[in-house]
Amino acid sequence: MDKLLNFWLRGRWIRLGLTAALVCIVGLLFYVSVSADTHPRDINQESSAPDNPDWSRIRSLVSAADIPYSEYSAAAISVPQPAPDPCLHCHISGENTGLWTPLARWSIFGLAGLMFAFGVVRSTSVWRNRKPWKPYSRRTAEWIDERYEISGPLTKILNKPVPKYALRWWYCLGGITAFLFVVQGLTGIMLAFYYKPTPDAAYASIQFIESQVRFGASIRMVHHWAANGMIVLCIAHMLRVFIMGAFKPPRELNWVSGALLLTLTLAFGFTGYLLPWDQRAFWATTVGSEIAGGIPVIGSLALIFLRVGWSVTELTLSRFYALHIIALPLATVGLMLLHFLMVRKQGIAKPL
Amino acid sequence: MPDIEQPSADETIPFYPDHFRTELRVVLWIIGIIVLIGIIGLLMPVGQGDPADPMNTPNHVKPEWYFLAIYQILKFIPKTAGALLPVILIILLTIVPFLDRKPDRSPSIYRKRLISVIIGLIVLTALTIWGEVT
Repeated sequence: MDKLLNFWLRGRWIRLGLTAALVCIVGLLFYVSVSADTHPRDINQESSAPDNPDWSRIRSLVSAADIPYSEYSAAAISVPQPAPDPCLHCHISGENTGLWTPLARWSIFGLAGLMFAFGVVRSTSVWRNRKPWKPYSRRTAEWIDERYEISGPLTKILNKPVPKYALRWWYCLGGITAFLFVVQGLTGIMLAFYYKPTPDAAYASIQFIESQVRFGASIRMVHHWAANGMIVLCIAHMLRVFIMGAFKPPRELNWVSGALLLTLTLAFGFTGYLLPWDQRAFWATTVGSEIAGGIPVIGSLALIFLRVGWSVTELTLSRFYALHIIALPLATVGLMLLHFLMVRKQGIAKPL
Repeated sequence: MPDIEQPSADETIPFYPDHFRTELRVVLWIIGIIVLIGIIGLLMPVGQGDPADPMNTPNHVKPEWYFLAIYQILKFIPKTAGALLPVILIILLTIVPFLDRKPDRSPSIYRKRLISVIIGLIVLTALTIWGEVT
């Protein structure tokens, strides 16, 4: 748009000429629209058929004979056909309509044609000087990379070599656990859309999820079994690391973070077990927190922290819910990042 | 402190795309299993027991299967010891690398650890099954 305006304002003569051309075109259009009152029907046509056939006569003839259209000629009924137009192309070129109409049409369409041809000629240079074509994915990547320069670090991350001794199935147990954590996060968010953490509504909301929500039963089933799978795989990963002695120096802190992650996973299981708010959940939590209350010195403190009071109530449910969906996930994500960073930094332990 | 030895180039494969492809395949298989579990869930939902009733204690209170072993031990030892046991176990598990600091000399240690792990697993499984059936 700016370029167009610049062109318009560049010089007096160009401006004058373009304005004059515009005025001429608009004026011609106006003139043609008001002056082209010559209709094709005014052309003197050589036709024997009348312009307005006597339809009432024809209709009475046809209804009296009660015959199909194909037999009209046999019954000597002639339906008048419209007169053939003697000059079809005259409508377009404007012949027979005087001097000014065809002149205006030829000027306007001729000018438009010349402009189009000029545009085509000019476009060839644009086409000849075009940039090589790139897929849009690559263009997007380059656009981002120009601004944030991430291709270097990303390449470094992706080019990290993987030792061949780590290409055994028992080295992927930890990775599967992490993937299951992601699955738990996604299905957990979906469940949280419908779950209500109050004693009055919790049980019914899970019934609602299982019976009314589309694929709700699937999502709860996946959340349930992926939780069990996470614990199994956590323990399996830990045993693999233990058997292969991968916890030996210098990787002690990696083991410590892993053990804390196992504890967090078990805490996930413990807090999540209460949420359905059925008899089993309620009494398992009651017994579980009672066991925590048996710890010397800090026992009653732990009990009150877990139950928010001396018995399992709606406050316990709220607390377990908050722990289950906010506190524990945050801690787990943080520890997982640490865990991965340490593995990344130190590499995978080499077996003997 | 033993050095972290970096593997040489002929002992490694590139992460991307070689290893990435393997990992993608594993992930796709797991997603397949998850979809299967979801389909089973449509047919047989997890379900719920009776609604919670603080006034009515059921006869059998059972925790989840991964707490069953410790729950079974708890039945036979005093309450304080039972409450301390899981805490001590977790602390022991956490400080394993500081208890066993000696670097491994030969692969035969793997077999020893494997056997000890198997024995531990058998004990845990036995306790879990025992807790499940009683």
